[in-house]
Amino acid sequence: MTAPPSEATLDLEGYHAGLRDYLSSSSVLDRWRGLDHATTEDRVAEHAQLIGELFRAGWSRYGWPVEAGGLGGDERHRAVFYDALSAADLPVPEQYSLLETLGPPLVHFAPDLAAAYLPRYLRGEEWWGQGFSEPDAGSDLASLRTRATRDGDGYRVNGQKIWTSHGATATRLVCLVRTGTAAERHRGLTMLLIDVDSPGVTRRPIALASDRNELAELFFDDVAVPADRLIGAEGKGWAVAMYLLQFERAMYAWLSAATALRRLRELRGQLTGHRLPDGAASRFGACYADLVALRARSAATVRRLAAGEPVGPEASVDKVLLAQVETGLHDLARDLPATGFLLGDDPAADSWRADWWYSRAATIMGGSAEVQRTILADHVLGLPRERGA
Amino acid sequence: MSTSGVGDRLDHETAGQLILSLHALLSATPDEPEAALAELGWAEVRAADPVTATRLLFTEHGRVLARSRLLDDVLLAELAAVLPPASGRRALLYPHPGDGSALRSTDVILPRAVLLAPLRQIDEVVLPATTGHGFTPLVVAADEVARAAVPVEGFDRGSRWLLVRDFPLPPEPDAARPGTVWADAVAAGRRALAAELIGISDTALALAVAHTTDREQYGRPIGSFQAVRHRLAESYVAIEAARSTLGAAEADRTSWSAALAKRAAGQAQAVTLRAVVQVFGAMGLTAEGPVHRYVTRAAALDALLGGHRSLTDELGTALLAGADLDPVVAVEADQ
Repeated sequence: MTAPPSEATLDLEGYHAGLRDYLSSSSVLDRWRGLDHATTEDRVAEHAQLIGELFRAGWSRYGWPVEAGGLGGDERHRAVFYDALSAADLPVPEQYSLLETLGPPLVHFAPDLAAAYLPRYLRGEEWWGQGFSEPDAGSDLASLRTRATRDGDGYRVNGQKIWTSHGATATRLVCLVRTGTAAERHRGLTMLLIDVDSPGVTRRPIALASDRNELAELFFDDVAVPADRLIGAEGKGWAVAMYLLQFERAMYAWLSAATALRRLRELRGQLTGHRLPDGAASRFGACYADLVALRARSAATVRRLAAGEPVGPEASVDKVLLAQVETGLHDLARDLPATGFLLGDDPAADSWRADWWYSRAATIMGGSAEVQRTILADHVLGLPRERGA
Repeated sequence: MSTSGVGDRLDHETAGQLILSLHALLSATPDEPEAALAELGWAEVRAADPVTATRLLFTEHGRVLARSRLLDDVLLAELAAVLPPASGRRALLYPHPGDGSALRSTDVILPRAVLLAPLRQIDEVVLPATTGHGFTPLVVAADEVARAAVPVEGFDRGSRWLLVRDFPLPPEPDAARPGTVWADAVAAGRRALAAELIGISDTALALAVAHTTDREQYGRPIGSFQAVRHRLAESYVAIEAARSTLGAAEADRTSWSAALAKRAAGQAQAVTLRAVVQVFGAMGLTAEGPVHRYVTRAAALDALLGGHRSLTDELGTALLAGADLDPVVAVEADQ
């Protein structure tokens, strides 16, 4: 069944209605409902299959340009899509979170690369990682040292990236590298799309404390990257990164909120018939209320992105609210005995434990909680700068 | 954002001008702004865009710590359909904050309730009582209520609230009214109070930003210390979360979302004023400093029609009992 790319389905409400029908009537999708996976590799592979199914049906293609394998529409279509998946008790495939982060800058700064490679991502045939952090460049991203030097028609890349989500299974990496001097800080940076199977790239999965290989370390040893893999101009990598961060802070927050709402519903289901500890109702209410606040905030940000308005430093509010929801939800699941968090050996309990560890990343990745508060203090409240900053 | 499609809705420029007018007006007549509002043509503004008008009015009411009874009108408008026609100016009796959001009484006596201001120039008082028979609102003469009312000498010493105790009820004139009418009135009141709490928190945060920018210790502004900066940033986040939740409640118009909006605004005032009192140092506690007036007003309004902690508990209890977890917010909603 393919959704027709007519005006009727591009209309947001028509799209939502058609999508809901599809999600509630397609029995193929049952395969992905209520699944717990023992490893990250399993989960990512299953989610890739789901991405493929959603693409074949056509509904995942809205919100992406026709030239990049989509069917047109804007960010609101994507937001409705993630929401509808969660409402239909389906996981929002893991790979979509990086699609939301990496897809928009590719479409905006490198339409040719988007046309060549984004369709494969949309079909679930491949997914990518975000090569930003380095051993000595976490929050202080502008101090990164992975270097790309001109070599004839292309670049030679040397260095190391670390703590890359999906880095263990990704096909390509959107990497921020240094083409200028270290003293130039953020002005000497360039964004490149690098194939992981290029000669000279090696990787090492990094397990979280849950033993899940959520992250990876990537080493670049004289890796040849053609110049047509530039995303934006050489030396303009920081502008690309800032554009990307709007989506990482806004679309990613909306998508994650959709998943959090499904997990909160599942958590409630697990509590049925169990005696609850004192204060459980209040914490459940707080978690839900925080989630509604996040959604309300995020919906407005999604609409701004869809209208082509830049989302400035105030997007840090979305990011802080998301982290509050992620940590609050998973702490609640940990503290309620009904989930079996501490001692349970069933797959659902194991998922909560694995998710709990991943939820700790909510205040680290994409700019730590401290960085977000500093952005708000500097650029929104206009407080005096910190000494030495 | 533009007001797409709805011709009558206030645009940004008009709203900006109204905010300035309201600010000046409420600063000049914080106790009884009714006449000045009428002169401003407020009835027309409200008729054109009631949702925005209410939000602007109560946000400014909060910002300047006005102490009028304008909230009465918000709830009375919802109750009008089940009340006899008014014979003069009306005021509303509110549930005592310790009793939640229902004005509980027996058939013969109302143990305790609250008025927002003295009953000067008021002819009738509406008692939105809930008895064993259900929601049975009454209208009584203002002077009868005034005899049972004493000024509140509580935490918010700047308020004009009155406490009504052991008010004898007249025999019930007729049968119970639908409880949904009172629920709608409470919801409207909660949205207005959320706006007011956001206004109070906005001003308190602005005072703290100004103070920490000026005040120097260790040879630098205290607003340059990360511990101070981050607390104020967290306050900003809490206020924005409340603003967004109120926006969702205005679009949604249900009791459920109104409770969420009031809860978020109550939470925002708690987070913000805790931080503001701290960063003002000793000046945060003194009678001559500006901060205490925001602390006490915010605490009183948070408690009125349901405080944020009890609302959180009520929401959670309802959810665990099976209330719909569906999202209140849709991305395609016109805002």
